[in-house]
Amino acid sequence: MNSVDAGTLAGIAVMAVTTLFNRTAGFVLMRFVPLTPRVRRILECLPGAVLIAIIAPAAAHGDLAMILGLAAALLAAKFLKSDFFAVLAAVVVGATVRYFGY
Amino acid sequence: MDDTASPRVRFTRAGFLAGARVMGPMMPGMCLFGLAFGAAAAQKGFSALEVALSSGLVFAGLAQMVALEGWTNDWTPGGLLALGFLTFTVNTRHLLMAASMRPWLGQLPGWQAYPTLFFLADNNWAATMRYHTKGGRDVGYFVGSGAFTWLMWVLSSAAGQVLGGGLPDPKAVAIDLVVPAFFIAMLVPNWRGRREFVGWGVAAAVSVAASFLVPGWWFIFIGAVAGAVAGGFVDE
Repeated sequence: MNSVDAGTLAGIAVMAVTTLFNRTAGFVLMRFVPLTPRVRRILECLPGAVLIAIIAPAAAHGDLAMILGLAAALLAAKFLKSDFFAVLAAVVVGATVRYFGY
Repeated sequence: MDDTASPRVRFTRAGFLAGARVMGPMMPGMCLFGLAFGAAAAQKGFSALEVALSSGLVFAGLAQMVALEGWTNDWTPGGLLALGFLTFTVNTRHLLMAASMRPWLGQLPGWQAYPTLFFLADNNWAATMRYHTKGGRDVGYFVGSGAFTWLMWVLSSAAGQVLGGGLPDPKAVAIDLVVPAFFIAMLVPNWRGRREFVGWGVAAAVSVAASFLVPGWWFIFIGAVAGAVAGGFVDE
């Protein structure tokens, strides 16, 4: 039951090395890019842009539950200022909408 | 936020614990995703130990889930190459996430900065960026949120392999909304004005367009770069 298969291990090793590359390469590259005010501003904008580039396509390809759930999360995050309630609102609204078949 | 100004980059136990704590709201959803991954991996013949190894060494849920589709235990060299390429494209966002940490983590010596980057995952990075925007400079926050996420991911996915089926349908309980909802909570306090309006708007438009036009997972990378560059050219 707890055997480790050589083939599976090979696949895991390839993925592990690749993810390590993904996690470090951007950091290494930026060592050689001078941190001018312009580059700093771009780097400051990067986190928000990455998150938006994940959320917006998810919403665009999502069902009604996804869209209403994320709208609920936005309201909860803005007015309740709570991460917990943002996640909870999304899940409750999303699951409810799907329960009723939308 | 100027990284060269005080408070200085540091690593404290208090920061580590605060980082672990901020991941709390994510945990039920992330553990359900871990259980689902473990159960799906069991279908592909993974043992519990193999699931734990995959989660512990790869530590990238989306890539692990996507890679299961074509998983075999009889890899050809070409198959392994394709697996590596798939993993790379699914995780191109990590290139950008790590780049964004350069002004801050770059102040640490390499032997501290590189091991720290092992803990780079979407959720704890998002939480850490919000912390950084508010002026936080304790690297313990990043490592603490990452280590806690890592532990929960390894445990829940191994448990999913053991439990197998019989889990609630992830879609019916809206588990797919947990990550984007958490991201929204991380984003909201970062809204400052015109630069976000331009940068986020361009990121949204370009990523959505790319998700329809470009095959695979490149839409995140393309949209994020376009948005960051556009936002970076908005001068105050």
